[in-house]
Amino acid sequence: MYHMIKNTILILLLAVVVSGCSSVKELKIFETEVPREPLNLPHPEAANMEPLQWVIITSENAEEVFAKLKEQGKDPVLFGLSDKDYEFLSKNFAQIRAYMIKQRQVIDQYKDYYENEDNKTE
Amino acid sequence: MFGSIKIAIVLIMLAGAGGGFVYVKGLKADLATSEANNLKLEQSVESQKAVIEQQANDFKAILVANQELEKTNKTLAAEFAALDKRFNKINGRGEVRDLGDLAVKRTKPIERVINNATKKAMRCVEIAMGAELTEKEKTATKKSEINSECPSIANPSYVPYD
Repeated sequence: MYHMIKNTILILLLAVVVSGCSSVKELKIFETEVPREPLNLPHPEAANMEPLQWVIITSENAEEVFAKLKEQGKDPVLFGLSDKDYEFLSKNFAQIRAYMIKQRQVIDQYKDYYENEDNKTE
Repeated sequence: MFGSIKIAIVLIMLAGAGGGFVYVKGLKADLATSEANNLKLEQSVESQKAVIEQQANDFKAILVANQELEKTNKTLAAEFAALDKRFNKINGRGEVRDLGDLAVKRTKPIERVINNATKKAMRCVEIAMGAELTEKEKTATKKSEINSECPSIANPSYVPYD
């Protein structure tokens, strides 16, 4: 009986001593900045424009023009523009083109500014 | 009696030594904290310097981007003005060019001119969309060689002249 009590006390003492050696360490939380993945979308592929053929019709050459169309197997019909409307179409086209050029440049500038690592000091 | 005084003196001396020890320990801790604070401040100053440098670089990049856009705007405006001039040129008699009248009088040549200009304009759209320039376009330097609709993007070697 005495031995049993002695052994129990010894085991308890050992357990206390051993558990006293271990301690809960302070949890260290650190933050690491993870840079956002660059979007890096490619520009859309350039399209190949279909060729257009303008036909000028006057009161004098109208018959000749329509005969030529028939000869070529085309429908004898033309979609017309007046000289002023042709001018407007040309200018509209130039404006659309200019807008595309500027838009592309803006996209390139944004890409360069936000995704080019060379201009960053860190 | 005398024994009690001795004990009291010893206790006072011990208390003084203990107090001194605690005071020095406190000073050491304060010093360590101050050193750590100094280090943090130095690091903070360094990181602030880096932020200021980055900001300066960003401002420069924004300025350059704006300047380039402005340059493109001016070039495109000049090309648009040239197109307008082609339609509304003043002839030797002081009259505005009338494309309709010209087309009635010289139908075939005007048709050819319009078709050539359209072909060039189509090519300009392809280039604006990012199509590669041909060697001929890259090396063109004369008016007869260039794409008169959009020389700024089609012919990088061309320098406008009169």
